[in-house]
Amino acid sequence: MGPFVHLHVASAYSLRYGTAFPPALVARAAAHGMDALALTDRDGLYGVIKHIRACHAEGVAPVAGVDLVLRAHGGHEGSARGGRGSGRSTAAGSRGHRAGEIAGAEEIWDGRAGEVWGRRAEEIRRDAERPEDERRVVVLARADGWGALCRLVTAAHHAGERGAPYVTREMLAEHASGHSGDARLVVLLGPRSDVGRAAAGHRDDEARALLAAWRAAVPDVVVEVTDQYGYRDANVAARMLGLADWAGVPAVLTNAVRHLDAADHQVGNVLDAARRLAPLHARHLEQSSQAYFKSGEEMGRVADRVCGGDRARTARLLAETRRVAERCALDPVEIVPLLSDPPGALHLPEIGGDPVPMLRSRCEEGLRRRGLERSKEAGERLAAELDIIERKRLSGYFVAVAGITDMIRGMGVRCAIRGSGAGSLVNYLAGIGEVNPLEHGLLMERFLSEGRHGLPDIDVDVESARRLDCYRAILDRYGEARVACVSMMETYRARSAIRDVGSAMGLPPHEIDAIAKAFPHIRAKQIRAALTDLPELRDSGLNDRSLETVFRLAEKLDGLPRHIALHPCGVLVGNAALRDRTPVERSMLDFPMSQFDKDDVEEAGLLKLDVLGVRMQSAMAHALDEVERVDGLRIDLDGGVPRDDTATYDMICSGRTIGCFQIESPGQRELVAKLEPRTMHDLIVDISLFRPGPVNSDMVTPYLEARHGFRRPSYAHEELRGPLRETHGVVVFHEQVLKVIDVMTGCGLSEAEKARRALDTPEGREAVHDWFVPLAGERGFDPGTVEKAWKVLDAFGAFGFCKAHAAAFALPTYQSAWLKRHHAAAFFAGVLTHEPGMYPGRVILDEARRCGVEILALDVNRSGRDWRIERTGDGAGDGAGPEATGSQAGPAAGEAAGEDGGKAGEPLTLRVRPGDLEPAGEDGRGPRRENGGKAGEKDGGTDGGLDGDAGETEEIRETGEIRETGEFGRGYGLRVPFSAVRGASEAEIDRMVAGQPYTSVADFWERARPSRPVAERIVEVGGLDAMYGLHPGGPRWRPGRLTRRDLIAQVGALDRSSAAGVAAKGDAVAVQLPMGFTERVAPGELPEMTEAEVVEAELAVLGMDVSRHVIGFHDELLDAIGVVRAKDLLRQRNGAEILVAGVKVATQTPAVRSGQRVIFLTLDDSTGPIDLTFFESVQAHTAATVFGSWLLVAKGVVRRTGARAVSLRALHCWDLVDLDELWRAPAPRGGIDAVRALLDEKPEPGGGVGGRRIEYGNGYRLSPYSDIGPTPGVRDAAAFLAHPGEPQRRLWHASSGSSGATRARRR
Amino acid sequence: MGGRSVLSRLYGDPIEVWVRDGRPAQFVWRDRLYGIRQVQDHWVVAREWWKTSDTDPGERRFWRVEAGASTGVGTYELRFDTASSGWLLLRAWD
Repeated sequence: MGPFVHLHVASAYSLRYGTAFPPALVARAAAHGMDALALTDRDGLYGVIKHIRACHAEGVAPVAGVDLVLRAHGGHEGSARGGRGSGRSTAAGSRGHRAGEIAGAEEIWDGRAGEVWGRRAEEIRRDAERPEDERRVVVLARADGWGALCRLVTAAHHAGERGAPYVTREMLAEHASGHSGDARLVVLLGPRSDVGRAAAGHRDDEARALLAAWRAAVPDVVVEVTDQYGYRDANVAARMLGLADWAGVPAVLTNAVRHLDAADHQVGNVLDAARRLAPLHARHLEQSSQAYFKSGEEMGRVADRVCGGDRARTARLLAETRRVAERCALDPVEIVPLLSDPPGALHLPEIGGDPVPMLRSRCEEGLRRRGLERSKEAGERLAAELDIIERKRLSGYFVAVAGITDMIRGMGVRCAIRGSGAGSLVNYLAGIGEVNPLEHGLLMERFLSEGRHGLPDIDVDVESARRLDCYRAILDRYGEARVACVSMMETYRARSAIRDVGSAMGLPPHEIDAIAKAFPHIRAKQIRAALTDLPELRDSGLNDRSLETVFRLAEKLDGLPRHIALHPCGVLVGNAALRDRTPVERSMLDFPMSQFDKDDVEEAGLLKLDVLGVRMQSAMAHALDEVERVDGLRIDLDGGVPRDDTATYDMICSGRTIGCFQIESPGQRELVAKLEPRTMHDLIVDISLFRPGPVNSDMVTPYLEARHGFRRPSYAHEELRGPLRETHGVVVFHEQVLKVIDVMTGCGLSEAEKARRALDTPEGREAVHDWFVPLAGERGFDPGTVEKAWKVLDAFGAFGFCKAHAAAFALPTYQSAWLKRHHAAAFFAGVLTHEPGMYPGRVILDEARRCGVEILALDVNRSGRDWRIERTGDGAGDGAGPEATGSQAGPAAGEAAGEDGGKAGEPLTLRVRPGDLEPAGEDGRGPRRENGGKAGEKDGGTDGGLDGDAGETEEIRETGEIRETGEFGRGYGLRVPFSAVRGASEAEIDRMVAGQPYTSVADFWERARPSRPVAERIVEVGGLDAMYGLHPGGPRWRPGRLTRRDLIAQVGALDRSSAAGVAAKGDAVAVQLPMGFTERVAPGELPEMTEAEVVEAELAVLGMDVSRHVIGFHDELLDAIGVVRAKDLLRQRNGAEILVAGVKVATQTPAVRSGQRVIFLTLDDSTGPIDLTFFESVQAHTAATVFGSWLLVAKGVVRRTGARAVSLRALHCWDLVDLDELWRAPAPRGGIDAVRALLDEKPEPGGGVGGRRIEYGNGYRLSPYSDIGPTPGVRDAAAFLAHPGEPQRRLWHASSGSSGATRARRR
Repeated sequence: MGGRSVLSRLYGDPIEVWVRDGRPAQFVWRDRLYGIRQVQDHWVVAREWWKTSDTDPGERRFWRVEAGASTGVGTYELRFDTASSGWLLLRAWD
């Protein structure tokens, strides 16, 4: 007889249950000499592909199954429970007896163990809903049962609520056999099954009846016995064995494995508590210390025990177990075609015809459409690409994807190709993408090649706001049976692990929240190291002993899957048999979602299309719509905009790129200012260089030196000049690595791509070296040249960037910059609405102000759902005062213009004509707006620049003027929308917009029906100012004048009276208030809000300072201590030690060359951004302030980094609010001298950042706390909504390598 | 449950146990050697490790055995603590 086989094994993919990953389990099986292994995760097949791959690698036969909740037919769980009432009391009685017995002995032998049982008796009697009472069955696929297993799992998820799948016996009957009645699935009835529960409860008749019913329903049923040495386990196993023998049903032995090793059960306990949202207490836990991966020998002892020493019975039990394994052994390649080379059958979509001629004719037509039919290069490239595609039988995939991108564009959704797919001419010709690979020297081999393992992956970017519409359209076209989204596993990281363990340990929720947020986004296993390594945590008070256990346990959860989520972009497009290839469940948004992640999907031979929602595409779409709405100009951004616009590149070169795609971060602003891009190719290089690899391998400096002519480009050999000339001898792109390898070895690009991939690991580099050097020698290169060429590959090979990726990025980068330069207000409206970048709204707003765009306050009669633009009639720089604009655009525009004047040095008061103070009548609105529009049209022509020659001359005239001020957005205003108001619901916004215009606060209250807090907030930020002619912040409020406070009181009165009305009539809509009460608001005793209060309200309600920059409140102090403003930085001498101040805009901790954790801080002082660098040597006394404060003063040394680039090496920093408080305090404690003394203090030398540097082969070192993932685009909006009380949450950008607020001090 | 007497006596004495094939075979209690004739029951209880200090407190393995000495046959409950590797005789029905 062969070795024992585990048939019931849960991996970590049994969410919050299992603890071991499939490869580890398979490796253990192999180590124990087992020749087969099952994976039977709870509720799904999430880990099966990984299991099968591991089995294939280890030479173990894979068995696949699932462990599912079993319910009684047709009923919900309640009825199933009812049916076993009597049984439970029996079991409880007997257990209770036992418990009492042992509890009596507690004193002598350690109360703790006794407590487990003592409590349990009581629990069982009290708690009828014990999770331990849940019934489960294990179902295995027989050798030909993979499809049936997938469909069963899909059906189980379909039957249950989301996240709570179940099966019934009837469902199993339906799936367990094929058309001819042959068995496809094996059902294991174990101790948790209905049969097992009946047997355990000594209800023998019921157990027999149930078993008979199972046998009638399902052709292949076996009884599963398990003994984990729990009390009565052996007893139940013996009863079940007897039952099986009585019925003549085979019995198998399992260990219901949960862990790799016995010690892992502690993690299991934590997971039990996390899963049940219960504290860590014996009553909520499953005994699992014996549920580890036992060896065959150990299982032999279990068998022996279960069979009561009956040798023959033991042998039979083990033999049956093997027989089941044998009939369930799957063919790995059939399920995972990519395990073989060439791959087994792929599962391509049906496209109604022979795909080969379809793709060919589409490409031919594309050649004509793109004007390439005469190009020899294009013809040859196309032939070569089609040859590979057809040999790989992938034509159908391209045809299907082209159909989908056509459809998406047909819906009016912006759509762009991204990633390596841009390197394929077929994609360009078939109309999938807009990037011509020939123009940029892109290679197809990065995307698809003879030697490339795996399937090509076409990625397209669509507008983020329309992504789900695209998914729905794809689903509609292909049908649910053929399409599914790809899933991904969210795993435990530091914060999530602390949250789950914290609640398991019974900490109060607000404390858990504060502790979790104090940590940066690091791995769970770094928690305790971070506490000692990072200065801001060292001083946080989190390091005390009471939390030690929480952190210790949280670390144990590191990397375990926590929940399944919809992958952000993957869509599987398969054929009618898709549901036989992958189990499908519903996503949160009710999309069909495969249980496989993106790697599994590919391995399973399923083709996917990545449809990624890109916020910038939505932002640009919004901007284009606004331009069309206000200026009547329809811009074709893809086809109709020149790609060499000087004004756009001028703006980029001056570093004015906040808001632009890919080039807005502080580091990128510095890089573009140094690199001075002038063409699309320069942008491609810029994007490729701004990666951790190139930055750290110091590719940037040699490139810049050669580009600007400070250094002659050097080539290892004349033949390498070709591939490297475009980047002045520096290897920047993957494509160049391929070409270098090909030139030196003559191996061909496909082979070179294989070698390039191997450069990622030290072993791979060694192997490539041993292959590369002799081959290059044979080609006649001298050893010195070969060595030089190899050095280049060794250093940069793994870090280069795929040029096709960069080219795909460069297009939207340029497009966004073009929009910013030529339609600034509309562009910012798009950016503020869709938040595509790293900066919070208030920074974008500030940048808009610097561009000359006016910020128009919320106005219930003018605001829309989203950010909109308005013409302010103010042409470029004619110094229009409020008098000039007031008559055209109404009071609100006048107000904004007044603010604009304030920037020029006048006091920050709002200037309004007396005539505007009267409440505006309904009739005045419409015409006025139209008038403003018309007037603007004449002026606004300056910004055209679109229609050929006329535009160009206009442009030249305009730029001279604008180059001085940089205010290329003049003439337009940005109107704060309703959606910016904290807490405003979709429905409220709909009503507020639909009901416009309003005549009074009562009218607004009645027809828009906002909630009282939302109405109050709208008043607080001035939404009714224009209607009532209010001008808060002005110096001379006199009693008897109406104020915002009066309007808030009025909202309260309206709320009370409608509440009374509701009580009286029971019908909110029918409530009528007396006219006199509603239309007139009596001025009260309350003074108007001060400027500071106005800005505070704006920050609290809108999350941004609209009326003026917050730093303005501190001008006096900042001047007193001699702070240098951003606009004056360029005039500072290199090496000077200066003070700067500002609002925190962003903190980043990217990977840097030295391997330090360096904090990059960007401040904004209303005159521009200030970039500071905090090295580890100063972090001990600064990190907590940098991460924990919002308004900062910093001392630093000026570092000139380029003609227009300055940054500061920080020495110290302070919280401005603290300084302000000190300044205002009476002497001797406070006053200006006290502030100066504080600023002059020398910080005590303290420890820097600890943690071991991660060292790479080429000497590149990395701090464990640097961010290496992509940072931009991840916004904290959800967190903001979850904590409306803390508006600062989205006032700055924090990288994932640094913590947010560190005010989590525990006492 | 097999014991000759319904009433048991609690002890908690440290004892010495010989193990064969993963199960106890003989033990010495109060200077007397007992041969184990039959294992009546065996179960394992994990300790509530989260209440203790850093180290793994291990588990407790209980054996209820029928054992005989020169004085006669009785039922005994033995406990093995994996952390301390020590055996106790918890109680006896004799």
